[in-house]
Amino acid sequence: MIRTITNRFSWKFGRCLTQTCSITSDTSHCQNATALKVNQPTELKESELKEITNPLRFPDYFGVRNLFRLKDLFDAKVHYGHKDGTLHPNMKPYIFGSRLGHIIFDLDKTTELLQDALNFTAHIAYKGGIILFVSHYPQHTLTVENAAKEAGEYAHAREWDFHLLTNSEKIYKGVTRLPDLIIMVSTLNPQMQEHTAVRDAAKMCIPTIGIVDSNSNPNLITYPVPGNDDSPTAVQLYCNLFRDAILLGKSKKSEIPSS
Amino acid sequence: MAALREVLIFNSKCFRGVRSYFCSSPAFQYSSLSPNNASSNVQKLDFEESDTKRISKAMKSYMERAKIHDNFIKEQLHQYNIGKRHLANMMGKDPEFFTQHDVNEAIRYLFPSGLYDPRARPMMKHPDEIYPKRKAAEFDMNGRPFHSLFYTSKPNYYNLLHDLAVKFKQLDNHEDKMIYRGIQDQQASELFLFGTDWVSKESVESVLLESLTDSQYSNLIKTMERFAQHRYAVREKNFIMQFRHQLAAQTEIQKIPELMRDESNRPFTTFSARRKRSNATVKVIGEGTGLISINGEDILYFKRKQDKEQIIFPLEFCNMLGKVDVVATCEGVGMSGRVGSIRLAIAMCLRCFVDAETIERMRLAGLLSYDPRERERKKPGQPGAREKFTWKKR
Repeated sequence: MIRTITNRFSWKFGRCLTQTCSITSDTSHCQNATALKVNQPTELKESELKEITNPLRFPDYFGVRNLFRLKDLFDAKVHYGHKDGTLHPNMKPYIFGSRLGHIIFDLDKTTELLQDALNFTAHIAYKGGIILFVSHYPQHTLTVENAAKEAGEYAHAREWDFHLLTNSEKIYKGVTRLPDLIIMVSTLNPQMQEHTAVRDAAKMCIPTIGIVDSNSNPNLITYPVPGNDDSPTAVQLYCNLFRDAILLGKSKKSEIPSS
Repeated sequence: MAALREVLIFNSKCFRGVRSYFCSSPAFQYSSLSPNNASSNVQKLDFEESDTKRISKAMKSYMERAKIHDNFIKEQLHQYNIGKRHLANMMGKDPEFFTQHDVNEAIRYLFPSGLYDPRARPMMKHPDEIYPKRKAAEFDMNGRPFHSLFYTSKPNYYNLLHDLAVKFKQLDNHEDKMIYRGIQDQQASELFLFGTDWVSKESVESVLLESLTDSQYSNLIKTMERFAQHRYAVREKNFIMQFRHQLAAQTEIQKIPELMRDESNRPFTTFSARRKRSNATVKVIGEGTGLISINGEDILYFKRKQDKEQIIFPLEFCNMLGKVDVVATCEGVGMSGRVGSIRLAIAMCLRCFVDAETIERMRLAGLLSYDPRERERKKPGQPGAREKFTWKKR
């Protein structure tokens, strides 16, 4: 199965890079992916040593696909959406149906998208990028901040000051390096409107990963992950997964110079 | 600060081998469609640029600002030292051993000022004392912030809220454990908050080195209040007390004089108090039988029932009726003034005989505060202080 992954990296100063790489992989079977990972270095023996250490050549260099199974998502109540009437039209491709008036997500699609998102996160962490966890859900503040602390990354789970990204020089009192990836644990603010960070990150060309519930708009999110963003169990699962993906990326980074 | 910067510069030397990922790099301008080319570009970044020293723009800009500030402070220090030498020469002292105390004395002598506010008077202080401390660089050479909540723009404030939430959870867990074990007899203790209040916004700001909005401050106080009302909040007493300060009235009352001993080795204490135009001196003697003597007479010195009750009230309030003797002398105009002054003096004396909790109860009952009410003067054009002549239409 040939899949095409398009990663858009972009920077503050308008420098954009579009990498398109075709990778041969079978996403549905983790065993095959790992087998590929083992096989590929032998094919590349002839090429330069540098080539081997290039993680972009592997479909799942960091092994993020093994972090979770579909059953884990189901147990964490990821498949529950909001009520029928609140469904956002752009979320239609990701839903399985509705049960007793509530949207149910298609967890097969969620799994695939979440794996992509985790893979991207691990790559960013591997390259030493700054990852910012964003949420504006008072109940989940502690969970999100703890995950960021454990991963050695950054969190903003409080009230979002307008122009935090677009006028950063004023807000942080000096030139500041902005995050390289924003993980939105919930893309809505408590007023049930789209979080300002989604729009501002798009303006500043910062890639975003967003957990999008059935009532949120995935349009401006680089890596949307359809799923329940309200239940504590689900949020805990997302936080743990992204934390683990970051730690995997970082551990690979620390391995490379020694080898 | 200078030491810190040295460490940072040292770090920059250490980091020389590490490629900083998001610095401007020409290789990223190419976009390639084939994976091989893309990978080779990335490799170029990883290995070829590792030799050149790279500092993020954020760090560069910080270093420029810090350099300007350092030069400014250096200049101020230079001027301070020159000024100090001048003062020493004027005062005829050795400039080498001229301390800050000597500087203050010299300024007071040479530039006498009648200005009331001490901060408005002329002064000469070390630049470190005058110019506020600045936050050190909050990020490393690659521009990566040190604090995980840096992007909230008020990391110290939000970290405090985060710590509070963590502690809250710990207390909840502890409570669960206690309930599970069947231990529920521990009383909710809020007593240690008596006589103190939450610290002001300014002092919170000076500790956190961040300016807070009013709503942020009130949020913090609300959270602290909820935290302090937790059943097991006593476990975090030290943490909570960092954010409380003694009330001024309370500190005044807490200065309790020592008990003295008379010839027959009975404990006693005295106090003089005023009310209206009277003043009274009261001696309260412990290990007594409840004798009350006022200007040589007993309590019948006061004829009115209300006056007698006034004398008895503080003794009754502290449960000391019949346990102490009271010897009072009072003088002045009017019975209620006299009795008021005696009441205050007795209450003040009784502080020495009771525990801190009762003192606090006395304070809340108003027994320990001076009654400032006085007779209001008569005004011209009217028969009394407030009373007016009857209005008559010409």
